[in-house]
Amino acid sequence: MTDRRPGRDPSTEHLSDHGLLALTARGDRDAFARLYDMYGGAAYALALRIVRDRELSADVVQDAFLTVWRQASTFDPARGQPSSWILTLTHHKAVDTVRREQRRRAEALDEARESVDPAPAVEQQAWQSVARDQVRSAMAKLPDPHREVLELAYFAGYSQSELAERLALPIGTVKSRTFAAMTALRELLAQSGLNPEHEWNTSTS
Amino acid sequence: MEHVDELISGYALHGLDAADQRLVLEHVETCERCRVQLREMEAVAAALAFAAPQADPPPELRERLLEAIGPEVVPSTPPEAPPQPRPRWSWWPRVSAVAVPVLGLAVIALAVWNISLRGDIKDADVRSVAPIANVGSVVSFGGGQATVVGGLKPAPAGHTYEAWVIPKGETVPQAAGTFAGGNDTSFTLTRNASAGDTIVITLEPGTGGPAPKGPVVGKASI
Repeated sequence: MTDRRPGRDPSTEHLSDHGLLALTARGDRDAFARLYDMYGGAAYALALRIVRDRELSADVVQDAFLTVWRQASTFDPARGQPSSWILTLTHHKAVDTVRREQRRRAEALDEARESVDPAPAVEQQAWQSVARDQVRSAMAKLPDPHREVLELAYFAGYSQSELAERLALPIGTVKSRTFAAMTALRELLAQSGLNPEHEWNTSTS
Repeated sequence: MEHVDELISGYALHGLDAADQRLVLEHVETCERCRVQLREMEAVAAALAFAAPQADPPPELRERLLEAIGPEVVPSTPPEAPPQPRPRWSWWPRVSAVAVPVLGLAVIALAVWNISLRGDIKDADVRSVAPIANVGSVVSFGGGQATVVGGLKPAPAGHTYEAWVIPKGETVPQAAGTFAGGNDTSFTLTRNASAGDTIVITLEPGTGGPAPKGPVVGKASI
């Protein structure tokens, strides 16, 4: 996604994401647009990977950001980064969409590439492709059963009970395997110098 | 107290059924340790988002979104918090810096007099007074000093207010001192400021630092 931000107010440049969100809570459209410019691309890519329909994905992203706009004043900085909030909202709405529309789930991480018409890729912000490489390489280091449960839960949107059925495992095993997988992933990300609790476009530099 | 460690990762992945979701939400209301765990797991889940194959949103989406948030409004007061049941993530006391009403000039004059009596400022010639919404006003003096007068709630435990000067034409905020707030705030910045500069007040964790990390509480151009 090119860095196009017409009318950007230079005095917001120094602000952290928390600062931008605080301004958003005061009705500052520039600050809000800035948050979209930074994270809208990642949100859309996530939605598209899960939902595999361009229109529905655009709706998911719009809903997520509208929620940010409306609820920015109730966001508590202690709950984490604004980017985590944005992507959590996106993920939740994407998963709800795929379940509601009863869409076939794309199970392999890259399966979406074949089934969705590829538009010409505009040059992405560098920090995003660095982040993608780092997260993918951390995932590759997970034991297969752990990576599988994360991919199916996160990208295919399977609930834990659906996973239990799909993998023919007791639900208790699904819960503990999910816990182990997320804990291991957090550790692997930390080892590669990524702290997901820091701002993304600085934490990957 | 039964912790919900195992459920928290499932929650972050949005894979729990309604009953388990409720369990997690109710538990974290009162358990600091699990709140921290939840924050961390949500951050890891958000990291997973970046593993998705790159895809660019349609350019129209940005326009649609900006139209959907409504026409341009210049806020003079912050929007009302929407009337709704206690927000999901409300375990930390909400920081809202509600000032005493914007100070009249007479009150500012008195504050300036008090300041000059204390010897905090060298040249008592007032150059300008600019309002900072939610905070009060910033008074700038001939010698280049700037003083914030007004009222801010005392910064919550573990936080401090910090002032910044963004010199005219620049973008990087320069740290200009920390203060605790409370009524009758009268804080002289540790850095000079004059016409064209922007003053920003943020709420910082801990004792503040050389660069702003916390949310902006107020901002004004001199």
